[in-house]
Amino acid sequence: MGKNTIGEFEEILMLTVGVLYKEAYGIAIKEEIESKLKRKVSVGAMRTALKRLEKKGLLKSHLGEATAIRGGKRKRYFVVTPLGQKVLKEVMDTRKQLWESIPDVAFDLKLI
Amino acid sequence: MKGTFAKPPKIPLHFLRWFCDPDMLEDIEGDLTELFGVRAKNKPRLAKFIFWLDVLIMFRPGVIRNFEYQKLNNYDMFKNYLIAAWRNLMKNKRFSSINIFSLTLGIAACIIIFLFVKEEQAFDAFHSRKDQIYRLCEVQSFPGTNTQKVALSMPGMGPTMKEEFPEIETYARFWSFRNQPARVGDKHFMIDKVRGVDSTFLSIFDFPIIAGDPSGKMDGKEAYITRSTATKLFGSIDVVGQQFEMDDDLLSVKGVLEDVPDGSHLQFDMLCSIYLGTDDPADFDHRFGSNYLNTYFILNDGANLEDMAQRYPEYLSRMMDNEDINDFYKLFLQPLEDVHLASTDIEHDYNNHRKFNGTYIDVFVLIGVFILIIASVNFMNLTTARASTRAKEVGVRKTIGALRNQLFFQFILESTIMALIAFALAIVIDFISIPSLNILIDRDFSMIQFVSSEFIVVAFLFTLALGIITGMYPALYLSSFRPVTVLKGLKSGEKKSLFRSSLIVLQFGLAVGLIVCTLVVVQQLNYMKNKDIGYSTDHIMVVSLNYDARDNYQQIKDELLKQSSVLGVTASGQRIGNNFHQWGFKVKKDTGIVDFTPSNVVVDYDYLDVYDIKLKDGRTFSKEHAKDNGLAFIVNEAFAKEIGFEDPLGQRVGHGWYPDDSLGTIIGVTEDFNFNSLHYKVNTLSMVVHSDWGYSEMSVKLNGSNIAQGIKEVESVYNQFVSNYPFEYEFLDDHFAELYKADNQLGSIITIIAVLAIMIGGMGLFGLASISINRRIKEIGIRKVLGASSKDLMVLLSKNFGILILISFVIAVPFTWIYLAGWLEGFAYRISINPLVFLLGGVMALVVAMITISLHVIRAAYSNPVTSLRYE
Repeated sequence: MGKNTIGEFEEILMLTVGVLYKEAYGIAIKEEIESKLKRKVSVGAMRTALKRLEKKGLLKSHLGEATAIRGGKRKRYFVVTPLGQKVLKEVMDTRKQLWESIPDVAFDLKLI
Repeated sequence: MKGTFAKPPKIPLHFLRWFCDPDMLEDIEGDLTELFGVRAKNKPRLAKFIFWLDVLIMFRPGVIRNFEYQKLNNYDMFKNYLIAAWRNLMKNKRFSSINIFSLTLGIAACIIIFLFVKEEQAFDAFHSRKDQIYRLCEVQSFPGTNTQKVALSMPGMGPTMKEEFPEIETYARFWSFRNQPARVGDKHFMIDKVRGVDSTFLSIFDFPIIAGDPSGKMDGKEAYITRSTATKLFGSIDVVGQQFEMDDDLLSVKGVLEDVPDGSHLQFDMLCSIYLGTDDPADFDHRFGSNYLNTYFILNDGANLEDMAQRYPEYLSRMMDNEDINDFYKLFLQPLEDVHLASTDIEHDYNNHRKFNGTYIDVFVLIGVFILIIASVNFMNLTTARASTRAKEVGVRKTIGALRNQLFFQFILESTIMALIAFALAIVIDFISIPSLNILIDRDFSMIQFVSSEFIVVAFLFTLALGIITGMYPALYLSSFRPVTVLKGLKSGEKKSLFRSSLIVLQFGLAVGLIVCTLVVVQQLNYMKNKDIGYSTDHIMVVSLNYDARDNYQQIKDELLKQSSVLGVTASGQRIGNNFHQWGFKVKKDTGIVDFTPSNVVVDYDYLDVYDIKLKDGRTFSKEHAKDNGLAFIVNEAFAKEIGFEDPLGQRVGHGWYPDDSLGTIIGVTEDFNFNSLHYKVNTLSMVVHSDWGYSEMSVKLNGSNIAQGIKEVESVYNQFVSNYPFEYEFLDDHFAELYKADNQLGSIITIIAVLAIMIGGMGLFGLASISINRRIKEIGIRKVLGASSKDLMVLLSKNFGILILISFVIAVPFTWIYLAGWLEGFAYRISINPLVFLLGGVMALVVAMITISLHVIRAAYSNPVTSLRYE
């Protein structure tokens, strides 16, 4: 664990980057999250989180093509690194384990 | 690329570009622009707002680039400069205050000089056609009298010159009717300055009109009055069409003018038609012979004065029907600007309010520059002399990595800050000192006006420039230190600086020059004040004689002589102290009748006695001789010399209009007395009694012990005999004070400035002495230990400064001499420059210098060597 722990928002970001595969740039990620998860994402928060993840080595980025609608600025595409995949998998595994160890009664009680 | 991309608002975009980490800027800007473009399609306004919001949200750690490295560092440095400057100011309060205060005095003086010059140059400048306005003047060179320039001209000249010279667009004449009594209903008033003018007057000169017809056209029954006159006569200014009586004429108000500003050479309280002054208006426009009014012209744009001047002689001889007239008269046109600033050599210049010697303006500007130089020199000298105290700072800064131009900038900044502090203080000082200065030199300067005009900005920028310029040398000097040298402890800047020494020489040279000028100017003014002008002016009051007073003069005189405090009463046709008018005169010689033109004055029998004018030969006028009324003349020595008789007494002479066979005789010769101002030589003069002409002024000599009582007595006698004209008087002394006002003002200004100059110079020397002596404190200690006496040390320490002041003295003397000799040329009666004055000026500068440095010298010479040598 240690430095490879990621927060919930970071996890969502990484997963979305994975979902979008080769089309994962700022706005695409933002729209994907907004449409799928129905939550608002601020560009600022997202961009800093992406930067943080890149710095941790979980994502990597490269500049793509420029378009007129962007005022001639290029897009930055993000890709999940192997380390990122590993971390994501760890997170998922940890959750799975936790799910599995919940006794059945624990949730059933709610139904009463 | 296709599609139009919506441009996001600029301000947030620039903000983003400024703070955003360059690594992330491109994609962030792209993202935000794209988002904006999408949103802008539906709701452009909201999109803009959201764009703003997005950018602001971006402003967060992680996105903001690293400022630490680039900008914040600079800012800290700048702050550090200010702190260093401030600490440096505080650490050496004495030097800082000398620096700032001398600059303050310099700037304060310059602001005042600026106000002075500006006011003089704004004189008469409110007339929109000022560049086209000229005054007609004459150079008169009559036989037997000094050649003179006069401002007066003949009534016929205006109208006929307009006809003869196509260059002349219009003319207006201006004729003083002195003061006149006026009547509204049964109330009596006195209108002070009544002037007769042509109808064109108000179209040439722009005197603002409040009410009525602005054209200026008047017939003999109309008049223009000023606001104050209107208020005085009618109690309101809404008086167009109202009537008042003046000298048996019923006049109606055609218009009301604003009061004439002080900055106008023409002054009046009322304007009426010039033809009111003549019985024969038709003839008036062609009248030649006597000069008694002013004529002004408007010239066309292309007029060539020299070209016109060539045609004057022909014009004059034709008009006056006299071939030889051009031997006596030369006409010239004087531009309006010169009327105020270049008329000091013009006589009979009665309508020239506050005339000023324009050359003094250059002198003042020069003095202002001098003062600034002296003050700036202080700054440069003190800063460089104290370089050693800053040497370590420079060393450390350089070691840390400061570049030379950064240090240069630092020191320039410091000097600029000082200059600006001085500027602020100077304005405060001027605010405080200007009211008393206004009283001293009779001006109306206003700091409030200065501060609220654009000149304050100019002055501010000027101060800024001054700070930079004076800071330049110290900054170059200080920033040139090599860190290794200064940090090793070898103090830099210990050498004698030639530059610094020459600055002291310059400073004290200027101070010596100004001191000498002050001494000479004051001497000359005193000389004029105390010169025996040949008659007495003490306690003599002159009373105008008009109407009843003129007719009843003899009774008034008899009654006055009975009063206890009246010592004598006499009368004359003109007031002494100005030039008397010149009239044609005839002298009978063996070869025939010779014409010449002396000054003339009509006097009462006892004029010479009351004025204490000394007779050299012959007798004074006496009622016992019937011929003394009109046929006896008393002349002055200059006159006697001019006509060239060995014995002038008994010679046959007479006014120009006397028939050749019935001339009068010369009965007396007086010593030359200065009836004109001392700027002029004594002219030839003839005095005569015409008791039937009526006198225009009565001179009453009072007992000096009780003047107030005397005035009361004269007034009550006057009122006994005169009902239709108010009692008006002036003391002759005041009249003379007025004559020499400009000279006296110059005297006060030069004195103030010389005091300032020596003060500023002294302050600088004080600081410099303290520095240079402190630097030699160890040397002094060692000398003392080896047996030098305190006296030896004092001589040693003072010697250098003494030599510098000696050099400055030697340099200053010739320049000052040349200037003063030129200035004195303007006075016919002048002191000769006494070389001792220079010596005195030099000694004064030396004494001031020695006193200022003596404090340090004595302290150093008597200091205990142990204290100075203890640490080594």
